[in-house]
Amino acid sequence: MSDDGFIETAGLSKVYAFGEVEVAALRDVTLSIPRGRLVGITGASGSGKSTLMNLLGGLDTPSAGTIRVDGRLISDLNKRELALYRRDTIGMIFQSFNLVGAYTALENVAFPLLFAGVAKKRRRERAAEILKAVGLEGRMHHRPTELSGGEQQRVAIARALVNEPRILLADEPTGNLDSKTSRQIMEILADLNRSRGLTLIMISHEQALLREFSNEVISLQDGAVVTREALR
Amino acid sequence: MRISDYIEVAGSNLWKRKLRTILTTVGVVIGIGALVCMFAFGQGVQRNITDQFNKVDVLNNIVVSPPRQDGRRRLRDSDDPDDSARAAGPVAVADANGATRAKLDARFLEEARKIPGVETVFPELRFPAQIRVGAKERFTLVQVLSADICRSGSMPMRAGRCYDANEPNALMVSETFVHRLGIGGPQDAIGREVEVVTLSLDFGLRSLMRMAFPQEGKMGLPVARSSYRFKIVGVAERMPFGGMSDAYVQPEAADGMRKLAFTNIWDLYQEPGEGANYSSVTVKAKSPADVPAIKKELESRGYNTFTLMDQFDQMRIGFLIMDMFLLAVGMIGITVASLGIVNTMVMSILERYREIGIMKAVGATDGDVQRIFLFESGAIGLLGGMFGLALAGSVAFVINEVINAIMVRQHAPRMAYFSFPWWLCLGAILFSVLVSLLAGLYPTGRAARVDPVVALRHD
Ligand SMILES: Nc1ncnc2c1ncn2[C@@H]1O[C@H](COP(=O)(O)OP(=O)(O)OP(=O)(O)O)[C@@H](O)[C@H]1O
Ligand SMILES: [Mg+2]
Repeated sequence: MSDDGFIETAGLSKVYAFGEVEVAALRDVTLSIPRGRLVGITGASGSGKSTLMNLLGGLDTPSAGTIRVDGRLISDLNKRELALYRRDTIGMIFQSFNLVGAYTALENVAFPLLFAGVAKKRRRERAAEILKAVGLEGRMHHRPTELSGGEQQRVAIARALVNEPRILLADEPTGNLDSKTSRQIMEILADLNRSRGLTLIMISHEQALLREFSNEVISLQDGAVVTREALR
Repeated sequence: MRISDYIEVAGSNLWKRKLRTILTTVGVVIGIGALVCMFAFGQGVQRNITDQFNKVDVLNNIVVSPPRQDGRRRLRDSDDPDDSARAAGPVAVADANGATRAKLDARFLEEARKIPGVETVFPELRFPAQIRVGAKERFTLVQVLSADICRSGSMPMRAGRCYDANEPNALMVSETFVHRLGIGGPQDAIGREVEVVTLSLDFGLRSLMRMAFPQEGKMGLPVARSSYRFKIVGVAERMPFGGMSDAYVQPEAADGMRKLAFTNIWDLYQEPGEGANYSSVTVKAKSPADVPAIKKELESRGYNTFTLMDQFDQMRIGFLIMDMFLLAVGMIGITVASLGIVNTMVMSILERYREIGIMKAVGATDGDVQRIFLFESGAIGLLGGMFGLALAGSVAFVINEVINAIMVRQHAPRMAYFSFPWWLCLGAILFSVLVSLLAGLYPTGRAARVDPVVALRHD
């Protein structure tokens, strides 16, 4: 199979209905993303970036159009299959980190392994390993409130990696961080893309930073792709 | 997910909200405790009554009495409206073909013995007598009772023993009679010599003369008094067999006594020439299973029957109604407790709304989410069930001690008023878990359907 169409969407649309009024969050998006690329997505607030990301990540289902990942028709999966797709193929990172406040860093990172049926001892070993890889070996038993924003996002990255996904989706991962920390996070992500061959799709408002690290930047406007800019 | 993980996750989540978990669980503890207590009491009452029946081995007995029509018919006019109603019942059969034949005489005893399933047949014969102990003298009815019936266990003894077939001069009395005679406790009565004075009709010449020419201080009736010597060998608990008699002698002894045999007031209306009829006869079946057939046979011959078996069946319906009532009362507590669980689960799910979104984002299926929460409500049910059982046990213990303290002072034997059969204990815990799971079904179903996109959307 050609790496050209690792992630493919065709005529992808998402319409939200408020009674009589319909909001088209995404209109007829057709994309093809090769394996191992780092693709940046940008656009104004409300342009449909998060909507696209949620569809690719299998958290939501399209109103029309198809999504294929590695040849598999994701848009046709049922709820259970989507859950397994999220578990095995996708790692997600959010602007607000979305860590479980009651859990320590280690427990947060080990959390996805619970649903994969991994034994407790193995879960902890694996989580510790990955936390070390993102430079948090000294913070394993801290809760999110005891960590800085950058540290929290590194925990979230570790959690996204723990199930060894092939695709990493990051929705404004640096949106809550200062510029220095933002750069650190970007470097970690770009390194994962390079060293592990992870396909990475990243939403960001920070044009300069995005252009510096991405292979390609896609711009959305009112739910439609307006420009695709290949960088390297 | 693994079962051990569900348990661990549920446990740690409950532990994190200790106060709420405890309060919710206490609700279940009280609900289950009340229900189990009620049930255990119902079971205790039933067990005590059933034991009593089984101990005295009376379920095999059918008490047969002649159709009541003789006396009553003659006292009432047949235009009594009741009669038309009675004509439909089994008594009518007696009226139609049993009026002259359905008698409890020696021939009946013989024929009843031939009915399949009958073990023994013994008449119940009572006669009036004066019983004298020292200077004390009391009037009573003496019952004729064979030694083997006494020894079959039908008569719980307070002191002494049942008489033997080869000691015709042995007498047994009831505990109440000992009291009436004022000879101290049951133990003091054993071995005492008593004099039994009977009355009998005397149509001898001297008696008739006396009737014709009454003398000073002597009765004018043709009645003779005869005195017999007996020795008390046993004191029976209370008054068995309907409580009519206070003293018991053996048939062999009774045969040799001159007496006026009657117990039933209608016996006085007995037509001359009808011969000696028994007021009632007890037919003992080989096993309780034979009772219904024998009873039917006797009724078809025109006799009235009374069995404790019937009473027992009636009682079983009563038990069922009692159980239902106790259950209904107990269910109130359970209902309130399960509302508590619903409330706790709804709150817990609202609090962890975002966490549910995270679970789904990292690969939890709807089923995983629902089961995580169901294990929580199930755990509340399990804890509630176990502590509820413990609570019921402690409350039952205290109540039992209090009742016994009161009852023993009134000379009642010590008893366990509550019964906790294994199925009740196991059932209570299972029921508690089941109710909790049911209560958790709606909130956890909601948790499973949480839309992760909505849950994760940043504030
Ligand atoms: N669950 C929803 N129900 C209704 N409308 C929605 C829903 N999610 C998104 N929308 C609408 O769809 C449009 C696109 O939203 P989306 O979140 O994809 O934008 P975005 O590009 O991520 O914006 P931002 O940069 O602010 O995060 C918006 O107009 C939004 O109001
Ligand atoms: Mg967004």
